[in-house]
Amino acid sequence: MTGRAAPLLGRFRAGYVAPSVLLVAGLLYAPFVWTAYLSLTRYDGLIPPEWVGFENFVKLLDDPALLTAIRNTLMWVAGTMLLPVGLGLLVAVLSYDIRGGAWFRVPFMLPYALSGAGLGLVWSPILSHDGIANKLLGVDTAFLQEAPHNTIAMLLVWTWQQLGVNTLLFAVGLQSIPKEPIEAARLDGASGWRLFRHVIWPLMAPLTAVVVGLALVASLKSFDIVWVMTQGGPGRNSETLAVTMYRDTFVASEYGYGSAVAVMLTVVTGLASYLYLRGRK
Amino acid sequence: MIRRAFLVVLGLIWLGPTYLLLVNASRPPDSYDSSRAWIPSPDMALFTNFAQAWESANLQESLASTALYSVVSPALGVLIGAMAGYTIVVLRLRYGFWWFMLLFGGTIFPSQMLLVPLFVGFSDAGLYDSRVGMILVYTAISVPLSAFVLRNFFTGVAFSIFEAARMDGASTFRIFWRVYLPLATSALAAVFILNFTFIWNDLLFGLTLTQTAEVRPVMTALAGLVTDVYAGTPVPVGLAAGLVVSLPTVVLFVATQRMFARGLALGGLS
Repeated sequence: MTGRAAPLLGRFRAGYVAPSVLLVAGLLYAPFVWTAYLSLTRYDGLIPPEWVGFENFVKLLDDPALLTAIRNTLMWVAGTMLLPVGLGLLVAVLSYDIRGGAWFRVPFMLPYALSGAGLGLVWSPILSHDGIANKLLGVDTAFLQEAPHNTIAMLLVWTWQQLGVNTLLFAVGLQSIPKEPIEAARLDGASGWRLFRHVIWPLMAPLTAVVVGLALVASLKSFDIVWVMTQGGPGRNSETLAVTMYRDTFVASEYGYGSAVAVMLTVVTGLASYLYLRGRK
Repeated sequence: MIRRAFLVVLGLIWLGPTYLLLVNASRPPDSYDSSRAWIPSPDMALFTNFAQAWESANLQESLASTALYSVVSPALGVLIGAMAGYTIVVLRLRYGFWWFMLLFGGTIFPSQMLLVPLFVGFSDAGLYDSRVGMILVYTAISVPLSAFVLRNFFTGVAFSIFEAARMDGASTFRIFWRVYLPLATSALAAVFILNFTFIWNDLLFGLTLTQTAEVRPVMTALAGLVTDVYAGTPVPVGLAAGLVVSLPTVVLFVATQRMFARGLALGGLS
């Protein structure tokens, strides 16, 4: 680099990163810090925020709606690990090494095209009270009305959408693991469950970590399906933490309290990710 | 054999709702009956259903807004992020690693932590319920991933390319625009598609920051259609709307699958 060019570069460098830094700092970092501050205030959006310390968090612990939201969110997390992730792993393993295995996975990929709102649109007529599922089974089940089975019903909808992408990720992972250890174990007479448990599973651990980690964070923040299908109801009994946050803030206009729910959701997500990453080491 | 049977049965279960979606989206609205939803209708009404959704739910305005947001914001985001990556890696910005960490840190914030200040701040600034405001938010969200992937990409480009262009007297911006950006086409495309899909499918920001039909993104309009399923919108009309609105992301994904996989591999995400 010539001596003449150096100062010129120095002048432009800052200009080139400025747009990114301004956008990210102004629209992501600043709101983040502001929400953390608001969680310690009473605020309705009109009168300036009034400092109340940890009052919102104390109130949170006593709020029955919040306890329901925590229970439902935990159901979303556990259900996500069991169904989209667990079943996805099963489908990937079963369709691995059989001829035309990729074709068996096509039906699971189709629903991935739908968005959260689109999913609600497709499943509402199926699960509604006079809907297709009840008519088909000849029963009269309130799939979306009573807890906890409204959360379970929505988990199945979520599974219908997410299974494909998890299967695909696991299938890609299975294809990229070295073949030699598997062949060697086969020669030694290992097959089925034992082959999977002691040879394949350890080899695909790095990929499993990514899939489980992504599913963990996504399920903790479940919002779209719940909002579109039940709006967290009836009587707030299917709310997740993300829905509670939205409702407390924008329906009840309790901005301070809603911010406290957002902070709690963030802490829980961060803590879960941290414990998960540490537990894997 | 048991494995195949299991996969086929599970696959058929998965195809059930897909079948219901296709059959009932193509059915004339007045012939819908939930107890006969499995039987295809002889009349093909998909396009009339969509035309009806188009008018009744103001879908045309929402779709125009969403098309604008999900093209302009990822394009801006990917350019701005690439410029940051270029400055950090190629121009060797001082403390570049820390600037990079600052930008990349933007990916970890849950949306819920942003909603209240964005809502209040946008209301004060006159950006609430405006297309400019939505483009700003979506662009900011697109930047961190762009900066991450493009920084990784530019790290793999030989520095001698920059030196040679410098010797020829090209300005740093010209080198970015004419040399580095064209090199990174597939990485740029991959990031663009990921952000496009996120913005196209976004419900939460649309719900929080918009109100009128012409600003509201399409998924928020669609969500409104669901709550109205019982109130007015016939099921086939709603399904047709959901189907058509999902098409762009599918088409984009299928059309660019190769480029997408290559871009991510080069960006070091895979």
